[in-house]
Amino acid sequence: MTTTLTHTPAFAWKSDRKPGHIPGSLAIWAAILAEMSEFAIMFIVYFLGKVHHPQVFSEGPLLLNTTAGTINTLVMLTSSFFMIRAVIAMREDKQASSARWLTGAALLGGVYLVVKLFEYRWNTTHGLSTETNLFYAVYYYVTFNHFLHVGWGTAAIVWVIYRINCGAYNHMEHEGLLNIAVYWHMIDLAWITIFPLLYVIR
Amino acid sequence: MMNQTQLVDRLWLLLISLTLFSAYMAERDTQGFNSILIMALVLAIKGRIIVDHFMELKSAHRLIRTLMRVYYYVIPLMIIAVYLFPEQIAQWTRL
Repeated sequence: MTTTLTHTPAFAWKSDRKPGHIPGSLAIWAAILAEMSEFAIMFIVYFLGKVHHPQVFSEGPLLLNTTAGTINTLVMLTSSFFMIRAVIAMREDKQASSARWLTGAALLGGVYLVVKLFEYRWNTTHGLSTETNLFYAVYYYVTFNHFLHVGWGTAAIVWVIYRINCGAYNHMEHEGLLNIAVYWHMIDLAWITIFPLLYVIR
Repeated sequence: MMNQTQLVDRLWLLLISLTLFSAYMAERDTQGFNSILIMALVLAIKGRIIVDHFMELKSAHRLIRTLMRVYYYVIPLMIIAVYLFPEQIAQWTRL
């Protein structure tokens, strides 16, 4: 099967949502697919650990802070929701409204980081570390990797807010906004997969 | 007919509800096959909503849409497979 990727720039906004369009640039999709592959490898490691060390992976989630995991899931989903609202506002040429939605998304990115740092501190006080057992080694590797993604994703959102305030985007041209939007949703997707695997399923 | 804003507002509420339901499942003492099946289904639904409506891939390029959608078929199926056949998978993957 031969598939041709045809990039439609965001400034052709009336046509960019026609069947077959690509939201954002091809470059960001190359990055997203690479990142999703990276997370897929981590999830394969999790599944292999679970079948080879069932006891450790069954007991592991019981000692984690489920409340912190749940709060961060709600935070990520809500920030992702703010992001799509920012995109919709920009399509309606409401730059100020778009910037406000993005500010909400960035603030929630910050909340996620604070909650995760609290969770790591809570783990330490309860004697959980990368050396406790294989489950916690996987937990720290996966969640810290995700933590870094949220960090630089939040910084990228702040940059796009700055660009909006500079008047760089409007309803015709907002590819930078679409790029961070799909990237941020990818970070959200990774977290909604991590949450059941590490915190819920025993 | 709902506009896009109304649709994403409702989908966000659905995602929040599904997450709270998952948290409730995490606190249950026992997790049998039905619980695993429900949790896998919840993940598949949440993934599909974000891919189709937040990333707006529902009508986007077929290759990108398919790759992203397949992710949220494969991971839930792996959750079920690991629950049902742990020893067999361990045997296949032993070095």
